[in-house]
Amino acid sequence: MRFIDYIVTALRNIWRQKLRSLLTIFAVVIGATSVTIMLALVTGAKTFFRSQVEANGMLQQVAVSQKSDIKDFNDASHSGGNCDSCTKLTDAIITKIKTVPHVVEVARQMRVGAFEAVSFSGKKYTLEQVYATDANGVIHNNILAGHDLQPSDKEGVAVFTSDYADKFGFKGNYNGLIGKQISLQSRSFYSGVGAVVKQPVPCNGPCDNKLQQPPTVLTATIVGIMDTSTTSTAVRVPVDWAIGMNQERHYEFTKADQIAQEAACKNARGACNSTQHMSLITTNFVDTNGYDQLVVKADNAKNAKQVAADIKKFNVGAADAESMINSQLAIFNVVGLVLGGIGGIALAVAAIGVVNTMVMAILERTREIGVMRAVGARRSTVSRLFTFEASLLGFWGGVFGVGVGYGLTRIANVFINKQLASQSVQAHDIITLPIWLILTVIAVTTMIGMLAGLYPAHRAAKLDPVEALHYE
Amino acid sequence: METKTPAIELKHVTKTYKLGGETLNALDNVSLVAQAGEFIAITGPSGSGKSTLANIIGGLDKPTSGDVIVDGQDLSHVRDRALSDYRNHHIGFVFQSFNLQGSNTALENVIMPLVFAKMRGKQRKARALECLQAVGLGDRVNHKPSQLSGGQRQRVAIARALAVKPSIIIADEPTGNLDSARGAEIMKLLQDLNHQGITLLIITHDQTIARLAHRMVSIHDGKLVEHRG
Ligand SMILES: Nc1ncnc2c1ncn2[C@@H]1O[C@H](COP(=O)(O)OP(=O)(O)OP(=O)(O)O)[C@@H](O)[C@H]1O
Ligand SMILES: [Mg+2]
Repeated sequence: MRFIDYIVTALRNIWRQKLRSLLTIFAVVIGATSVTIMLALVTGAKTFFRSQVEANGMLQQVAVSQKSDIKDFNDASHSGGNCDSCTKLTDAIITKIKTVPHVVEVARQMRVGAFEAVSFSGKKYTLEQVYATDANGVIHNNILAGHDLQPSDKEGVAVFTSDYADKFGFKGNYNGLIGKQISLQSRSFYSGVGAVVKQPVPCNGPCDNKLQQPPTVLTATIVGIMDTSTTSTAVRVPVDWAIGMNQERHYEFTKADQIAQEAACKNARGACNSTQHMSLITTNFVDTNGYDQLVVKADNAKNAKQVAADIKKFNVGAADAESMINSQLAIFNVVGLVLGGIGGIALAVAAIGVVNTMVMAILERTREIGVMRAVGARRSTVSRLFTFEASLLGFWGGVFGVGVGYGLTRIANVFINKQLASQSVQAHDIITLPIWLILTVIAVTTMIGMLAGLYPAHRAAKLDPVEALHYE
Repeated sequence: METKTPAIELKHVTKTYKLGGETLNALDNVSLVAQAGEFIAITGPSGSGKSTLANIIGGLDKPTSGDVIVDGQDLSHVRDRALSDYRNHHIGFVFQSFNLQGSNTALENVIMPLVFAKMRGKQRKARALECLQAVGLGDRVNHKPSQLSGGQRQRVAIARALAVKPSIIIADEPTGNLDSARGAEIMKLLQDLNHQGITLLIITHDQTIARLAHRMVSIHDGKLVEHRG
């Protein structure tokens, strides 16, 4: 029997039992659709993620942290803060890092924890985070309106993430916010830049001279709105301003004050009650704790790994983006595996359906098989005929499954596009069905049909022709 | 006088069925020689082994012991592939119950053996039409079996047997499901084929049909008894 005749005969046999074939194919369609959608989601998400990372120039970046055992960017940004035994990320370290080969620039990064609210046109909103990064081209921010912070900016300006702009009622009109004044309201202990630090009432003997400070309000001009792809609900300010915000200032009766007082009292008669003089002590958080994180830009993405390795020699942590990308992609892989598993179960059930359909078909067509054998069909011919038929059930299931999957991903894209647009991410139709995916799904369902057809086909082939001819 | 080569040669053929503990000899040491172009009628009571004999000659079944040599080919030891090809090329079967495929047209039924013979689409259609015309059904090619009379169905079956130009036609009670007039027409058709040189083996209960044959053999309890033609 010629190949084309196998196909034609198998198709005719499928057509002969329209309803049953349709139901069997339908089961395959369900499995194929779910596998298609899941693969499309995962590959789409991966591609999207990678393109975002590339667009942000992250592949050229090396994150540096105090803790030396970081593995990726996430570790780096979460390991700042209290680590007494670690090497502080000071200006001295930055100078050293700048001497490492292939290093182009270093951006300092620090958080400010002292602010709790932001007010705009009479309304107050909670403030999630105030942070600062150097505006020296290392860290790329996607600016939707206005402009990014400039290296010359010292204080009084800020860039807001677009979700704040939305909250302020400027959705779709981010330009309307540019140049507007907003107020950052501190917590009550704040004593950094802008705070009016009061001198405590003089007292004799031990007493608390660190007075509770009233909240301070700083005013900032909005110069730009950035998207939420790297961070959300955040306010970014110049590094110099953040250093000032992270100051701790208080009055203290210092040794010098004591000497001055004693000197003044020498000439006094009786109890010396001269006004106690106190000095304003300023502690720079940066000096004691260093920056939270540094981001180093390598001249080329290929050199990022080497740069990270070299920086580690300064006894600080360093990681390039590749490991983060890999660990993020690993999550997608796991998600894909789980979702694919669900589709796999659906396909397994469909395979059982194919076996059932084919066994039924053989019972019905036993006499026909006998006739075929009598007029010269070999065992292998009969076997192949049924295998083809089962494979075609799988094939059609795959074709329709991919078709339905395509339709559903198109619909999903409409919703995802809306979501992305609302987050001001400039990407759309991120779920795609690459040709390899379409072909793979169809090939796999055809294969499943074929495998499901093997047992029935074997049964059909080993039928005794004489008995088959007399089958009632 | 020409010496005919034997078309069929059975040597001590035995077919044994084991049912439970009992053994049953459907054929018991049967030897038979048929010349090419001969017309042999096989008769015998029901269950005597006629169909078993026909199936063994036609390569649908294998003997338990003994040799079957058809057209110079020993069938008793060949594998399925060769046996199937043998049926395809040498044998045309005609059954009592027609055994046509209900969902296919007359033409498609006749085409079926040609498909297994790997003939191409156009050629096999032409050949099938030729065969249907030969059995007088040139105007019924696109009818399905359910749209044909009993006699017409058996004609389609004969056309199907003819399609691959077999050297032997084996008809197992071809007139069993037909009235005597229709049966006579079918026998006329088969005799015509025999006159064209095809070896004809007919199993029948009907003595008038058996008498048409060159030679008549009968089987009783698996044993062959030869009668003069
Ligand atoms: N597959 C089988 N298993 C067991 N016994 C069988 C089998 N096929 C046939 N027989 C037995 O072999 C014997 C011969 O059967 P066969 O079909 O050849 O008879 P027959 O002469 O063609 O009868 P009929 O005229 O009724 O068609 C019968 O007794 C039958 O019961
Ligand atoms: Mg019989």
